[in-house]
Amino acid sequence: MAAEVTAAAHTSDVSEISREELLRRLHDSSLTIVDVLPQASYVEAHIPRAINIPLEQIQIRARELLPDFAAEIAVYCGKFT
Amino acid sequence: MLHELGYSNLRVYRGGIADWVESGSPTESVTDTPPPEPEPDPHATIPIGPPLVDSPNGVVGRGPAVLSRMGRLDKSMLDLVQQRSTLQLFLLWIGTILLSGFCFWLGALMGEHGLVEAGRPIGAGLTGFGSALYFSFVTATSIGYGDIVPIGGARVIAVVEAIAALLIFGAVVAKFVSHRQDQLVSEIHRITFEDQLDRIETNLHMVISELLSITAMTETKAPLNRITTRLESSVILFSGELRTTRDLLYQPRLMVEEGVLAAILATLASAMNVLAELLALLPPEFSRSQPLTITLDRLTVLAEEICGECVPHTYTPRLVFWMDQIQATAKRIK
Repeated sequence: MAAEVTAAAHTSDVSEISREELLRRLHDSSLTIVDVLPQASYVEAHIPRAINIPLEQIQIRARELLPDFAAEIAVYCGKFT
Repeated sequence: MLHELGYSNLRVYRGGIADWVESGSPTESVTDTPPPEPEPDPHATIPIGPPLVDSPNGVVGRGPAVLSRMGRLDKSMLDLVQQRSTLQLFLLWIGTILLSGFCFWLGALMGEHGLVEAGRPIGAGLTGFGSALYFSFVTATSIGYGDIVPIGGARVIAVVEAIAALLIFGAVVAKFVSHRQDQLVSEIHRITFEDQLDRIETNLHMVISELLSITAMTETKAPLNRITTRLESSVILFSGELRTTRDLLYQPRLMVEEGVLAAILATLASAMNVLAELLALLPPEFSRSQPLTITLDRLTVLAEEICGECVPHTYTPRLVFWMDQIQATAKRIK
């Protein structure tokens, strides 16, 4: 299990989520939405229900704000990652 | 990014916020300022104009807004309490009382909206100010002797003060009590964590002695299938502990003493060495079973991630030395 996760991390094999699915599941609490943009951008506009963890703070704050490693998490930033 | 921290079920929305906004999907923005501090509310308006009549309006006007975002307010109130220290909260409480006392005194200066003691309004002098403070304390602590009574607008301040002071004092007490609880929780965490460290070391020692006895078996030409089973089980145990150690190095949740960590890393390095020697010693006709191959692959991948430069934190030279040893041996096994 762990090795698989690590392997996934190395191939950076992360699945995508489409806008339609995101829109459909906007009220689905099993999907966590994370905004990795700076706080200023988050304050201006963000996808409803998204939580804000600016990229540079991810190392420090991810564990605290996203305690469940297995949870489905949708991540987005400005345009293309 | 996130997946490196161990999140397994990540989905990336490549369009990002730009795509989202373009498509006209709904967004939210943060417009509400941090929650109003409980105490300035009733008094902020006091010094301007005919204040005591204004202040209830101010409170009522805030009503619906507060209701509609009750949840968020609740949370930010909790955060507010969370972030302040017990002393700060206590000072806030005292501040509320002093400010209210001052307001009572101002009200007394204005005559109509002040305090009455034994049928006579309290004076405007220092004695009056003292009485106002005294009344403020009696109100805030909800004692309410009744020797001094508010009239007119002072009643409004008294009610608001009583509620605010009660809430703040409740927060002070809660904070004070939970402090002890927090200590206990962190103590429990620490003990569990130390147990975990002990377990890693014990298991690694077991792995080493098991590997050594397998080496002895190989030297005495014991049947290969017996070697395979014992090797499989100890390699599985080994890779489990290796993973825990790796996680420990990558995401330290608690401070690990350097000595403890060094002991673990040294044991790990020596276990890696024994394993490498054993693998080299195995006769050519020994065919690795599938589970063994998979576990060994995982093990080397994990071990290769342990080195002074690949871990995201800086460690002391001693630790880096052991880490590099582990990685070097892993490369040899591969």
